[in-house]
Amino acid sequence: MEKSLFQFIWKNSSRYQVAILLVTILSYPVSYILLDLPKTITNEAIQGSNFPVELFGMQLGQIQYLAVLCILFLVLVVVSNCIKLYLNVYKGRLGERMLRQLRFELFQRVLRFRLPHFKKVSSGEIIPMITAEVEDVGGFVGEAFALPAYQGGMLVVQVGFIFMQDPLLGLAAISLYPVQGYIIPKLQQKVVRLSRQRVKNVRVIADKVGESISGISEIHSNDTSAWHSADLSDRLYRNFRIRFDIYNRKYFIKFVNNFMNQLTPFFFYFIGGYLVIKGQLSIGALIAVIAAYKDLAGPWKELLAYYQMTADVSVKYQTVVENFDPPDLYDKQRLLDDESLVFTGPLILDKLGLSGVGTGQEVHNVSLNVEPGKPLAVSGVDGSGRSELLQMAAGLLSPTSGSVTINNTNFESMPEATLGRQIAYVGGHLHVWTGTIRDNLFYGLRHRPQEKVEYEGSDLRKRQRQLKEAAMTLNPYFDLKARWEDYELADAGSMQQLEDKALELCKVAGFSRDLYLLGVETVINPGETEELNGGLMPKLVEARKALREKIQNDTKLQNLVEFWDPEKFNMSANLAQNLFFASPKEHFMTIEHVPNDPQISAFLKETGFDVLLTDIGLQIAKTMVELFADVSADSELLNRYSFISREDLPEFARIVNEQKGEQRRKRLKDVDRARLIALALKLIPAKHRLGVLDDDMREKILAARKQFMETVGKDNERFEFFDPDSYLTTLSIEDNLVFGHARLDRRDARQKIQQVLQELVRERDLIAPIRRAAFDYQVGIAGAKLSSHQRRLICLVRALLKNAHIYVLDETANSVSATDKTLREDLRKLMSDKILMFGVSNESVAEEFSTTLHLENGRVIER
Amino acid sequence: MTIDAEVQALSRVPLFQGLEPSKLRLLAFISDRMEFQDGEHLCHQGDDGDSAFVVLSGEVAVFVDENEVAKVGQYAIIGEIAILCDVPRTATLQSVGTTHILAISKDDFLKLIAEFPKVSLEIMRVLALRLEKTTRELAQARPAST
Repeated sequence: MEKSLFQFIWKNSSRYQVAILLVTILSYPVSYILLDLPKTITNEAIQGSNFPVELFGMQLGQIQYLAVLCILFLVLVVVSNCIKLYLNVYKGRLGERMLRQLRFELFQRVLRFRLPHFKKVSSGEIIPMITAEVEDVGGFVGEAFALPAYQGGMLVVQVGFIFMQDPLLGLAAISLYPVQGYIIPKLQQKVVRLSRQRVKNVRVIADKVGESISGISEIHSNDTSAWHSADLSDRLYRNFRIRFDIYNRKYFIKFVNNFMNQLTPFFFYFIGGYLVIKGQLSIGALIAVIAAYKDLAGPWKELLAYYQMTADVSVKYQTVVENFDPPDLYDKQRLLDDESLVFTGPLILDKLGLSGVGTGQEVHNVSLNVEPGKPLAVSGVDGSGRSELLQMAAGLLSPTSGSVTINNTNFESMPEATLGRQIAYVGGHLHVWTGTIRDNLFYGLRHRPQEKVEYEGSDLRKRQRQLKEAAMTLNPYFDLKARWEDYELADAGSMQQLEDKALELCKVAGFSRDLYLLGVETVINPGETEELNGGLMPKLVEARKALREKIQNDTKLQNLVEFWDPEKFNMSANLAQNLFFASPKEHFMTIEHVPNDPQISAFLKETGFDVLLTDIGLQIAKTMVELFADVSADSELLNRYSFISREDLPEFARIVNEQKGEQRRKRLKDVDRARLIALALKLIPAKHRLGVLDDDMREKILAARKQFMETVGKDNERFEFFDPDSYLTTLSIEDNLVFGHARLDRRDARQKIQQVLQELVRERDLIAPIRRAAFDYQVGIAGAKLSSHQRRLICLVRALLKNAHIYVLDETANSVSATDKTLREDLRKLMSDKILMFGVSNESVAEEFSTTLHLENGRVIER
Repeated sequence: MTIDAEVQALSRVPLFQGLEPSKLRLLAFISDRMEFQDGEHLCHQGDDGDSAFVVLSGEVAVFVDENEVAKVGQYAIIGEIAILCDVPRTATLQSVGTTHILAISKDDFLKLIAEFPKVSLEIMRVLALRLEKTTRELAQARPAST
């Protein structure tokens, strides 16, 4: 990568820089004439006497001449500003393009780092480098050559102008430049050094914040928040000191420069005045020179700012780039090649060694052949070199000596297209991506886009523009919108078949039960996945009706559920659900938001429910404040039973207090009204039994429910009504099937219902479709909503699905439990013609395998 | 039925007789109102007791070793010892017809006591009275048996 900023800019944008320069040069004559014209106007048109003047063969009187010159002036002003506008847009665009290219290059380099390199750099440091630190480069690129050229040119033009008026004055104008040219770089050097320190310090801060977040449970469990606070505070103080030093120097440079600039006019007035008095210089010329000198200060200032910016941005660029140039970077081609070899035959590890990484991670002189169909167990405790050996066999880690070969080709010379498709690895550290289970299971099939999306009309133009920009910035052309899953790799012909295959493998991996449980919690995303689910939704609605019948006809189950019924008030549901009888399609819409929503608040006002709900809210607040007034703040009673949180209780106490006594009832503030309405909407009559709802009120709510549906319309963008005949895409499958609330006053109602539900689902052959629906389950940030066991199984299925030739499984299904034992047998069966290396820490597990290898301290121990 | 009716029911329970109305209200609020169908069990003999039951309406049959020993009706409190100390259930309770029960959980009741020492004093007084009564009855019964 280019070591210096200017190399980078010139190499990647020389063409555009030349264009900018040409346009800039074009603007010189315009600027010069613009500068000279005022003098002509004053001297010749206003104060002149030889009229009429001849201009382009026309005889002009004084007024006409003045008018012509002034119009010329106006035209030049327009032209020069248009050039400026064009240049600015051009430069801004160029800067953004270069920034995009730089950032992409940096990210691509991260992808090319070898694994051990990530032991030295942290994401907390790399992220600000790629995002914030290079940001200034974008602003600088457009100016890199143009600004010195333009402002330098201006300076030369103006200095030249002054020289033409009078050489002596010219000399006076530039007399202090050499001094400035000497002092300022000296001062700037120190600033550059400080900038470097600052960048590094900020990086450490980012890293420490990142580390605190990932280690947050350690901080809490060890009470070390004070230590971390002090640590960060210390870094912030260091940052302050560096910045303060930078400010001091930066503004001192400015001070020196300003002082010297203002010293020069001293010479002007003195020497120029003398010359005018002596009659050697016209007063008009002196005024023009002084005006020119004023204009001189502009470019000079810009040049100085440019000089400072160059120093600053260069240092930032260098401090970033030096981190992305480790000597052992993978070759770029390794990433880009799309040709995949097909492995056959045995995997040969020859005198494999790994050293220099850390104790307990070394491997010494291991040689072995692994034949397809002859699974090998590699046993060894943590620190025996087991996981390192397996990582080398999976092509993830490069050996420091020896080689891993297959089909007579060394792993080192193979591109990722081969390694990543022919080898499947599930190791100790695994990663589940944020997204759906589907995204994660099919992750191993997403090597390249598998189809070309046909665009039309404006979409086509957008895509073409995107491609053009990609070409200009050396970014890839891959289309994110295309289908990336390679069905063929998994021996499937369509998404449907691929899912079938995945379901089958989930069964092998023992993930089916989990998949069902996740499935009932899944909110089906309508549209794209519905056709895959093969009309699941209507079937679920049928099942819903069957379930309802079953529960209603069974004396034991009777009354366990209070179903959604448009004509009935649901005592087990909260008031919001009862009133609106709908669920919001926007995820952010919680009950707290409801009273502030314009559409809803208009509806509440119209129906008079704003007053009714406020009254109910006030009654609830009164009761809550009364009940919990003398309960201590840290009592669990408050947290569990009051539906006002501990923090909010004082607020409600205040509202209740203000509203006491009818005669001095203050006008309720809008915020408080919203609070009370939200409180009322949270009321679940069967649970809270506060007696604030009488039959009359319930009737009113039922009437308003109908009105709400009429007002917003049955098919609207924001709310989905609880319609017994249609599937609700805002609710989970379970909520859709039960279609009501488990009654709170019946013991174990929910568990009983879930049991009945499962029986019904089994009877109706819906288990498999529900498992399939689980593919759309959102796993949370890095799979946070899954257990670690579930995450591992997902990674295992991901590996199985991609049909690799070599399987390296480490710390996976390696316990002595019966389920793991069966899974191991199934895996061996599944891989009867593949190479399987199985890492275990337990030697008794290793004995299940026909061939075993035992490692201790990185060496093979013969038995 | 609202919380006020429950408060009324609670106030008739001898164990809670000395409690202030406001504490009774809180107790009612933190208790669970349950509905039991005919034949449904409230608890089983030998289970760990975790709550006391106050009958709000209906009737509950008490079985000891599968023999029905009693039937209790409205405002009766059953299993109240369970909320004060850890003892297994001494009887099985079965709903006769549809009953409404207020279940006071042990954990919450103890939290309430921890929160308001006066409540525990009142309960201590009731228990002491009971103990005194039992002792006296025992003393009266002993000479009679000899």
